[in-house]
Amino acid sequence: MKTNLKKLFAAALAVLFVFALSACGEEKVPVIGISQYGEHESLDNCRTGFLQGLQDAGLVEGTDYTIDYQNAGFDDNIAKQIASSFSANNVALMCGIATPSAVACYAAAEDKDIPVIFTAITDPVAAKLDSGNVTGTSDKLAVEGQLELIRALQPEAKTIGILYTTSEPNSVSAVAEYQEKAASFGFTIEAVGVSAQSEVTQAADTLLARGVDCFTNLTDNNVVGVLPAILEKTNEKHVPIYGSEIEQVKKGCVASVGIDYYELGRQTGAMAAKVLKGEATCAEMPYETISEYGVYVNYAALEEMGITLPEDYAARAIDALA
Amino acid sequence: MLNTILETCAGTLTQGLIYAILSYGIFITYKILDFPDLTVDGSFPLGAAVTAVLLTRGVNAWLTLPVSLLIGAAAGLCTGLIHVRAKVRDLLAGIITMTALYSINLQIAGSNLTVERAVDTIYTSAPVMAVLGGVPLLYRKLLVSLVLVVLIGLVLEWYFSTKNGLLLRAVGDNDTLVTTLAVDKGRMKILGLVIANALVALSGCIVCQEGRSFSATMGTGQMVFGLAAVIIGTTLFRRVSFVRGTAAVVIGSILYKLCIQIAILLGLPGNMLKFITAALFLVILITGNLTGRKGGADGAGAA
Repeated sequence: MKTNLKKLFAAALAVLFVFALSACGEEKVPVIGISQYGEHESLDNCRTGFLQGLQDAGLVEGTDYTIDYQNAGFDDNIAKQIASSFSANNVALMCGIATPSAVACYAAAEDKDIPVIFTAITDPVAAKLDSGNVTGTSDKLAVEGQLELIRALQPEAKTIGILYTTSEPNSVSAVAEYQEKAASFGFTIEAVGVSAQSEVTQAADTLLARGVDCFTNLTDNNVVGVLPAILEKTNEKHVPIYGSEIEQVKKGCVASVGIDYYELGRQTGAMAAKVLKGEATCAEMPYETISEYGVYVNYAALEEMGITLPEDYAARAIDALA
Repeated sequence: MLNTILETCAGTLTQGLIYAILSYGIFITYKILDFPDLTVDGSFPLGAAVTAVLLTRGVNAWLTLPVSLLIGAAAGLCTGLIHVRAKVRDLLAGIITMTALYSINLQIAGSNLTVERAVDTIYTSAPVMAVLGGVPLLYRKLLVSLVLVVLIGLVLEWYFSTKNGLLLRAVGDNDTLVTTLAVDKGRMKILGLVIANALVALSGCIVCQEGRSFSATMGTGQMVFGLAAVIIGTTLFRRVSFVRGTAAVVIGSILYKLCIQIAILLGLPGNMLKFITAALFLVILITGNLTGRKGGADGAGAA
């Protein structure tokens, strides 16, 4: 029993040592805690864009700020613990990438009223991140632009299939918007909801069986995560998928009206720089959406589906693979 | 710097404590009833869903605690009835309830929910502010959580010492004895599941108030977390007679969250977080086993 207690004591000392190490050298340079929900290209692009945005504003890493980057591996409970650890470490600013991480950061920031900047959130109002010491950028989809694009590329198409996760508020609100606006472009929407990533490919089969003319993607993490598997199925049936941003087009979607997450991140970085420099507070800045949408195309995928790009689109299309 | 260390410790302790209430539940099903109860992954977010909805509707924060207990109890009752009355295997009974709860949770909450700062949680409620108003929120959370966890632990220890509590313990150890005492062991199993899931939902309720959010996926892996906390706690303290089962479970839960905290502090690549946590568990369990063996040898020598 004595050895047991001794070992526990030793372990406690070791833990304190780790804490002490981690706490060293953070006194002078303000720390930016970045909490990213998980690793996938769009979110990674957000982060690199964010870092670029800070540098563009004239801030230098090491002298003006240091970065503490954490990644929750798509685990909500770990996102919470990361956020509370940022708060304890007295970070100067928290940056939450994707809704669960941003919500966790804002809750943990309550203790000390640390400013929170978010990005890659579709609906900041639904996530209650639209007022208080918090601001950032939204990646709201350009639904009308996307419908217009699909109509131009597939003049005969009638139904559009959408896969989405029923628990993601972003996806639910996007599906509702598609359903509301589809009719004015002469489309009907077939949406199939899933509760987990493992169900996505089954849901894709369901949509294909219902004979949809094409798929359009949301920024749904579960669906985007298994996009290659969905593409395999749709390519076989000769049904094109429209992406919701450039990374999906790179993977084999035919085209997308969408945002560049790197640019979105950069815009977010500029906002964070203002807060760090003391030029504005989060409460003073309303959240922003990206102003410019691009049309990204995958020429190989278009050819495979036998779709030719109409002239007006061809003029402004950006080759996603270039 | 000292301040940072203290605050990190306070944050980690709070996390360990509020999730310890869930571990109490798993202590009852896994350690006492020997029942692998997967209902947990559903009843934990169930408590959070109900709490988030009630809080956003302006219901008093303290009232959400008994409501969560009751609704969690109902979830446990379902698993119990499916297993005992419908004779479905234990694992499958839990899986059925857990799967159904996923939809029910979303039905209750609509989608993932956030509780605004303007809404009072138990940590910012009037009675707490009257006593601890001057204490920073971080430490207030720790103190309130500590009081709750200790209170619930004491009630559980008291219950285990009552006649009914002893019968519950007997069901897992020696169910023939329970039958010879003319007690329906099926009913005792159901009771155990009811109590366990009530506690799990209560934990979800408090976690929701601490993190001001409910998400449909927050239950994923909670059964595994609870099992790890129970096993770490009971392995480390099995030779130390003065540490009660419930206390060992609380320490196990805190150690689990501490492992994650250390992994975060080490600043390793994000994707390695779970791996480091797993490695730390292994170290704890091996240390526990070694000291256990030594204790055994000492005992033999003394005899």
